[in-house]
Amino acid sequence: MTTISDPHSGLPERVRTQVNYDEPAIKPPPLLSVGPLAWMRNNLFRSTFDTILTVVFALVSISIITGLLTWAIQGANWFVITRNLRLFMVGRFPVGELWRTEWMALFIMFVAGFGLATYRAVSYRIFIFAIVVVALSFAIPPIVAATTPPEYSLLAAGNTEVAAGTVTETPIPELAFVGQAGEEITISYPTSLGDDARLATLSGFTDRATTAVINAARNRLAQEETTARLQERLANAPLTEEQREALSAQLAGIEIPPPVTDTLQVNTQPVDIEILHGETLDVLAQATLSQESESFSLTLPDDGWYILRKTMRDEGSLAILEARNIEPVLVSELSALDVRYRSMTSDFETGARRPRIDGLDVPIINIIDYQYFGKRNFPEFMKLYVAPLLAQLDTPLLFLLLATGIGYAASYGLSRYSPPVYRGQLPLRVFSILFLISPIVIYILLSAVNTSRWGGLLLTFMLTAVGIVLSFPIGVLLALGRRSSLPVVKGVCIFFIEVVRGVPLITVLFIANLMLPMLHPSLVQVDAVLRAMAGITLFSAAYLAENVRGGLQAIPPGQEEAARALGLSGVQITLYITLPQALRAVIPALVGQAISLFKDTSLVAIIGLFDLTRIADSVISQPEFIGARPESYLFISIIYFVFSYLMAWVSRKIEASGSGAARRF
Amino acid sequence: MVDAAPVANGVSTNTEPIIRCINVNKWFGEFHVLRDITVDIYPGEVVVIIGPSGSGKSTFIRCINRLEEHQEGKIIVDGIELSHDVRNIAAIRREIGMVFQQFNLFPHLSVLQNIMLAPMKVRNWKKDRAEAKARELLERVGIPEQCDKYPGQLSGGQQQRVAIARALAMEPKIMLFDEPTSALDPEMIKEVLDVMKELALSGMTMIVVTHEMGFAREVADRVLFFDQGRIVEQGTPEHFFQNAQHPRTQLFLSQIL
Repeated sequence: MTTISDPHSGLPERVRTQVNYDEPAIKPPPLLSVGPLAWMRNNLFRSTFDTILTVVFALVSISIITGLLTWAIQGANWFVITRNLRLFMVGRFPVGELWRTEWMALFIMFVAGFGLATYRAVSYRIFIFAIVVVALSFAIPPIVAATTPPEYSLLAAGNTEVAAGTVTETPIPELAFVGQAGEEITISYPTSLGDDARLATLSGFTDRATTAVINAARNRLAQEETTARLQERLANAPLTEEQREALSAQLAGIEIPPPVTDTLQVNTQPVDIEILHGETLDVLAQATLSQESESFSLTLPDDGWYILRKTMRDEGSLAILEARNIEPVLVSELSALDVRYRSMTSDFETGARRPRIDGLDVPIINIIDYQYFGKRNFPEFMKLYVAPLLAQLDTPLLFLLLATGIGYAASYGLSRYSPPVYRGQLPLRVFSILFLISPIVIYILLSAVNTSRWGGLLLTFMLTAVGIVLSFPIGVLLALGRRSSLPVVKGVCIFFIEVVRGVPLITVLFIANLMLPMLHPSLVQVDAVLRAMAGITLFSAAYLAENVRGGLQAIPPGQEEAARALGLSGVQITLYITLPQALRAVIPALVGQAISLFKDTSLVAIIGLFDLTRIADSVISQPEFIGARPESYLFISIIYFVFSYLMAWVSRKIEASGSGAARRF
Repeated sequence: MVDAAPVANGVSTNTEPIIRCINVNKWFGEFHVLRDITVDIYPGEVVVIIGPSGSGKSTFIRCINRLEEHQEGKIIVDGIELSHDVRNIAAIRREIGMVFQQFNLFPHLSVLQNIMLAPMKVRNWKKDRAEAKARELLERVGIPEQCDKYPGQLSGGQQQRVAIARALAMEPKIMLFDEPTSALDPEMIKEVLDVMKELALSGMTMIVVTHEMGFAREVADRVLFFDQGRIVEQGTPEHFFQNAQHPRTQLFLSQIL
């Protein structure tokens, strides 16, 4: 260090004039001041109190998450979702018109992709994430199928009643199932049914006799377990005398039936089986299965319906067969008008009615839902629910991703290769056009179907979209009106805003639905969905007006002064200066409002529309899904969350991209 | 009260004044902000207004383009008297450019769009013409390369120069500067003052409220000293800085010089 000191200064040495010509080397930060360890030390374990909080929250979170996962994997009946997916998505929208919703979704995703690229809101990296998700949805079902070998399903055959435990049922001689061309089905004659534990875990069909067997085995196992638990308590738990007596009494009351495998006399006689073509009723193959015979296999010739017919030679005996690749079928429409059946484990679909023999419908092979209730392991969970759900979702997801990607690429290409006259504004213009025509496109697509058939996510989405799009101009006008210097305009706007804000949405919906028709007879004609849309729009407009007003108030007065000094008129100042800035500033608030509107549409359930929430309520009134309320509501919660989060995410991205209040690009 | 006769320095006194203020009075509530302001400003003149805070300097120049309304007296700009007639106000604002202390650029528009907006919307110019003019002005204020940026990306000095270009784009006859360098770092003041000097030399009529005494001394044709809402003293910079008469002026100058 070179020091130039003033010899005449009376100051101490250290404060004399100094010039520092040294240049200290640039060094990396000390170890443990960056990186995950440092982060944890600084954020999670900074003090004793922090550490206690971290540990407590970690424990609470872990217990909640494990509890939820255990229930979701072991206990929950997700068939209510996998089988009703279409209802959740579009409600009772006619199946033949579904292409309209599909094209609408593709169009929206195209526009969304275009917009994301135009506003440079996200980089292409997000697509890598999406591609991974879609690839997983394609990959998981085959992986699950490969890692969990298909279990044999149980099919009861015979003419006699099956008495297992307390349940007595007659086997159904004929069953219909859906098959794909080239699929190999296998039916065999098991020499032993194994023990009750195996019987209980075997998957089966709504051949009622099979159900009876499985239930009996399951009940017996459950009672064994209860007994064991009570005995364990009696032996080890500290109990008062009274409790001990009560437990003993309870234990004495439990009667464990003998093992089902012991009581059930099955598989003593040969069974004749025939496979019939579902449409022509031609016999494709027949065989006799007995203790000595090999298992029977057949490669199916066509896509479509087949019938399995089972006949016992001996009147009084019963056989339980094992079948593989005879897939359970699900009925996926509420309406009797367009009955369609859908194979659970592949996306093969047939529009044909179920086969009829002798003028009677043949019962469909239908998986028994409640058989899986209880202790299910993770591979079973994946096989039963995740794989089928993904199998239904993979292709739609792929197309949606493609549409988004094409939109993104289109905008990118336009900005890159557009003629120089547009100065890079071409994507913006095209996006504006796309955005403006999208309501028309959606209207053209959907108006062909009566709104009474709209439902599920589709209805929720339409209510939200119409609410946001229409309430936007109304809300902006109300906000401007409220700041107007004309007292009448101002008064009317304040009156409207305050009245609407002072009333719950549900009341607005009731008014729109019930009272409007009383006001004028012609309003009876307006259908319920339109009335709900009107109510939601007006409600939302009042809140939007207040948000926009907040944005207008936040603009520094200098902006308007500068514009006035330049000679702009009041209307021009609003259009070009204040409103654009106000709207940019309130993007987060507007998106917040869109999110709450999206969720609030669930209230239309009360005026009789089948939106997502109402669908969740109605699917569990189907007999086979009674009790699946948590599953159904959890599923729609996830849908609501995913879309709400998506909106918030896009808003954050737009904000960060510089299109928000402070422009950066 | 100093005589309102022009004290022109290199400016022709034969022409009509472009701005005439006759006994202008203004109140903010009970507070009397402007008291009997009478002053004529001639085409091509550069008038610098100085004075302590709260003396009414800014309010006065804001009255000239009607950002503030005066309650008594007359302001006649380019032959048009300021009144409640909206058309008069619009006509006058087209002829007067204004530069603010806080720049007041439009943050949602690019530099080019900031400059082009008013010519296109108020003067109904075609886009090409407005853009050519904007680029020419950016060249003139020395930042042609910043045209596609947004105000938030510029330094204070650059923003103020854009603001000057924005005001000039309307091809005004008069430019008002309301403390244009007060919000700037010392390093950036010079680049703005240089632009203003160039503008003054080109013959623009300018009224500048400023605390930059160097600028006043070098560029001004006339200096007005405001105190408590009235013009206490006015004169050429030489008179003002070397030979100020009024004790209030002397006190003010002694405090800032």
